Amino acid sequence: MSLVDFSSDAFIVAFFLYCFGFLFYGVAIIGRKFSNRNSEDHLRRWGRIAFITSLLGFAAHLTFFFTRWAGGGHIPTSNMYEFMTFLAMMVMLAFIVVYAIYRKPMLGFFTLPLVVIIVAFAAVFPQEVQPLIPPLQSIWLKIHVTTAALGEAFFAVGFAAGLMYLLRVVDFNSQEKSMRLQQRWVEFTLYVVVIIIAFIGSVFSFRGMGYEAHFIQETVSISSQGVESTKTDEVSYSMPPIFKPYNSQVQSMDTFLGVKEPLFETPSWMKGVDAARKLNTIVWSIINGTILYGLIRLVLRRRIGAAVHSVMDGVDPDDLDEISYRAIAIGYPIFTLGALIFAMIWAYIAWSRFWGWDPKEVWALITWLYYTAYLHLRLSRGWHGRKSAWIAVVGFVVVMFTLIGVNLVLVGLHSYAGV
Amino acid sequence: MLGGDIRQMGKNRRKIQIVILLGVLLLGGYAIGKALFVSDDGLPKRGEAPPDFALLSSDGQPHRLADYEGKALVINFWGTFCPPCVVETPEFQRQYEKWQGQGKPFEIIGINLSEDDLTVSNFVRKYGLTYDILRDKRNKIETLYGVRSYPTTFFIKPDGTIMDIYVGGMTEKDIDERVMKLLQS
Amino acid sequence: MLSFENTKCECGHQNPVGTVLCESCGKPLEASEAASDMPLEMRYDGVARRSQKSNPTIIDRVWNFFSSVKIAVRIIIITLLAAIVGTIFTQENAFVSFDPATYYEEKYGWIGKWYYKLGLSNTYESWWFIGLLVMIGTSLVICSLDRVLPLYRALSKQQIRKHLQFINRQKTVYSAELKNDPEAWIGQMEEQLKRKRYRVHRDGTALLAEKARFSRWGPYINHIGLIVFLLAVLLRTIPSWSMDNYVSVPEGEIVQIPKTNYFIKNEKFTVDYYKDEELPEELKGTNRAKLYETKAVLYTCSENCDDPLLEPKLEEVKQHDILVNHPLSYQGLKVYQFGYDDTPKLKAVKPVLIDKETGQTYGPFDLTMRDPELNYKLGPYTLELKTKYMDFVIDSAGEPGTQSREPNAPAFIFLLKGPDLPEGGVPYMYFPKQNDKVRFSQDAINGDIGKRFEIKVPKMEDVTFAAVVSTLNVRVDKAMPYIWVGAGISMFGLLLGSYWQHRRIWLRVDNGRVSLGAHTNKNNYGMRAEVAAVLHKTGIDVEPKSLDNGGNKS
Repeated sequence: MSLVDFSSDAFIVAFFLYCFGFLFYGVAIIGRKFSNRNSEDHLRRWGRIAFITSLLGFAAHLTFFFTRWAGGGHIPTSNMYEFMTFLAMMVMLAFIVVYAIYRKPMLGFFTLPLVVIIVAFAAVFPQEVQPLIPPLQSIWLKIHVTTAALGEAFFAVGFAAGLMYLLRVVDFNSQEKSMRLQQRWVEFTLYVVVIIIAFIGSVFSFRGMGYEAHFIQETVSISSQGVESTKTDEVSYSMPPIFKPYNSQVQSMDTFLGVKEPLFETPSWMKGVDAARKLNTIVWSIINGTILYGLIRLVLRRRIGAAVHSVMDGVDPDDLDEISYRAIAIGYPIFTLGALIFAMIWAYIAWSRFWGWDPKEVWALITWLYYTAYLHLRLSRGWHGRKSAWIAVVGFVVVMFTLIGVNLVLVGLHSYAGV
Repeated sequence: MLGGDIRQMGKNRRKIQIVILLGVLLLGGYAIGKALFVSDDGLPKRGEAPPDFALLSSDGQPHRLADYEGKALVINFWGTFCPPCVVETPEFQRQYEKWQGQGKPFEIIGINLSEDDLTVSNFVRKYGLTYDILRDKRNKIETLYGVRSYPTTFFIKPDGTIMDIYVGGMTEKDIDERVMKLLQS
Repeated sequence: MLSFENTKCECGHQNPVGTVLCESCGKPLEASEAASDMPLEMRYDGVARRSQKSNPTIIDRVWNFFSSVKIAVRIIIITLLAAIVGTIFTQENAFVSFDPATYYEEKYGWIGKWYYKLGLSNTYESWWFIGLLVMIGTSLVICSLDRVLPLYRALSKQQIRKHLQFINRQKTVYSAELKNDPEAWIGQMEEQLKRKRYRVHRDGTALLAEKARFSRWGPYINHIGLIVFLLAVLLRTIPSWSMDNYVSVPEGEIVQIPKTNYFIKNEKFTVDYYKDEELPEELKGTNRAKLYETKAVLYTCSENCDDPLLEPKLEEVKQHDILVNHPLSYQGLKVYQFGYDDTPKLKAVKPVLIDKETGQTYGPFDLTMRDPELNYKLGPYTLELKTKYMDFVIDSAGEPGTQSREPNAPAFIFLLKGPDLPEGGVPYMYFPKQNDKVRFSQDAINGDIGKRFEIKVPKMEDVTFAAVVSTLNVRVDKAMPYIWVGAGISMFGLLLGSYWQHRRIWLRVDNGRVSLGAHTNKNNYGMRAEVAAVLHKTGIDVEPKSLDNGGNKS
């Protein structure tokens, strides 16, 4: 068995240990109410079991990382799969650091699912070890990417704590107008999380079924000299086409639930070979996510937010507010160093300029400005607690867009970090 | 703290405030002004002196920009591969003959865009060009002058500054107007 | 804007306008602050910001505008939004070969048209974006200056015995009747606090313990670094401080770097791809680059640098293998691997003249695409080159011409002279490339003479292609050291301010009752734990959480 194969196994082990870690945290938090014994004892005991399981998961994750490094010949942070797995690992590290300071099992109950989702999301992308193209052959690949990811990982923990704060303080029984608005937004946030889970689930289900559909797309373009030219592309789907590419013919298509033809055509203004496929994937994710959300609601018999809120009483919201702020305050200098300063140094060496307003650079700056604003707002009265928590939650969306969105939606020099 | 102390501080403070605000105004104004008015490509612009060059003419003689000092000068970048260049060439020749005939201090330089001897000499013969045709090698001077589309023509006043930069083919009327202005300045 | 006048504290201290907490004893002065029983507003230790005044002038108003953190946050958010807008579509500077005036509309429709019209296609160079950055810079200077000096004054002469209201309204508080002798207990506290690396000051039954005050300067150091950074960015706009040029150097040739005294030689250019066995399944068969390398030699020119008649006198100064992450660097000049062109371009051919009737061949002769010889002697025949085209085309008027200066479709018109040919010779058109020969029907053009004679290249070895061209990016950026210094200072300040916290503990004993208040600028959780630990050592057991005076809910 090669090192790389071994590392893949370690990765799977890490994934399951994280799942169990989450499960045990669930037992610790939710079981507290039903425990016959002293609830504090229960929490402490299961909290420890969950933490140790998570630590083992982290150890397996480290094993994955270093064996893949040894087997692949370069640090595994060079494409989307490797980067996302690394980010998940750093989120674990940030969690361990913050946990060491505050010792709140509740934090694990929120961070572990986040890690599980990121790990699963990583597995959506191609997993082969790809040899490095010349721009990536640099020691800065190690330094820049790792520090940037660590900084972002602390923002992720800040996000988890912020979300916890909101779930803790938003009263789901209140009929008050402003409270109901908050309830809706918290619930929407959770709905988005469910959609992301559904996206990952859909990718793997259809992949498991071996679903395939192929299209021939014709793109007509008129050059500046007025010459009309037609380009044909083959577009492959791994999910049943709800939307087929614009101006395309079905070449082959597996039936799904008896449907043999694509239902709709992507509008013409969605350009690019991948646009149609992305739209199709998003639509599937929303459909499946909504179904999944409905099922969860059916089981819980109330909103998800309300259910989580009810297991959270006894947690001091001030502590959560402080943890969220602290995680971000710890992450901010690391992010500055990794995502801006180291990035500038590398850009200066590789691209001959330290700053070039490339979309990825701009989004790193946007993230930085965002958290700069957050840290300054924390100085003012009235920006602690709920507002602060919302900023931390939205901040993580900004971080994720910088990491993934820029590569998938915008173009630029960082395209090789993509799929 | 004593009241007098505060007043003393107040004076200094006002000075510091004014110094800092002035500094900001100056540096900030410079930065914003730069973004507003200057395209920072380092290429020649109207009102500036054109970059110096030393090139060989078709007959192997070296020519420098300094050789044309004090004269109204037209520098035309051309190539046989550019149809508007071909169209405008006779117009330049006519202009050259017109003003030279009047004994005006006026010269035209046609800088060929890095083509080879035979191509240039055939062309010169075909159109009977008598003004100086200089041979740029490997796009050097063309890059220096920031020529991006062809033809491009520079009109240089006798004082050695650029009066106008014209991109695209010119008619005799276009040239005549500008040369007139050059000679008046 | 500020309406309170009475700034004299009951302890007798005269405070500047805008003071929130008395600079000396800490008693809340501001009316709303004094009336509340919430934890105190401890920002900047309650001192007045430098610029706060009772009747502001215009200069004061401008100053106060930039002095406000709330305004600073607003500027940051506007800049952030502007930066987002700039990433919606590709910026103009990201492409060279399109005309932006038409590109945006063609590609993105009316949105693109307006994007271009509003100047958003050049967001980051626009005057208003630069203006935002200037405002951020101004705010950095003024905010910091307004706060750091008063804070420095406040922290460098602190009163040990603080007002009871001040102590009891800290975020971390403890208050109880003392069981044992106050003097002895305070002595114990002092010792324990010293063990925790506090600097302790005593004033009878009052005590002040403090540590890591330096972390308070972190944010200001960070701001200084950012100001240096922004000024360095401004320095880059000085023309002679930066250079950004591209040179294309064919293998084996020396090219002058424009506007400098440097010449650079490309000794060898290598582009290398991964072999299939090095690639994973999905990438097999693709060209995945492994290496771009230009073996370069840098020269300085001492004489005849711009003279077209004389050879420049060159002196070698540096040899370097330029890789993507490994530029050549010489006295502030940096040369980067940028690109290359290895599309085969014809350089020269060695054709022969064939007499098809006799089967006799004459030649071969050397025919270069650029500056060829004009006369060729081949046995009894001579070829006289009359006209040539680099990129042959028949123009709209039906005239032959060339559409570029690159040898994409070279064509030659010779005058063939020799025995039994007409006196003046016969024109013969020759296309070296086989596909051009067919495309432009060489045989039809040549007519009868083409039936008798043929010029052709006998074998592939007789064709030479132009060398691979390596494109190098030449840069000078004299402001870079200042950029790095600015970034370094900023980072240092960030570390200082983020990973250390300024902690202070005040306590006083009045009639056997101890009042303790503790303040930190970050991490109240840690502060409480530390106070509880110290109290524990002196025989007082408290839960850290019970020390919390609340106050986050504000």
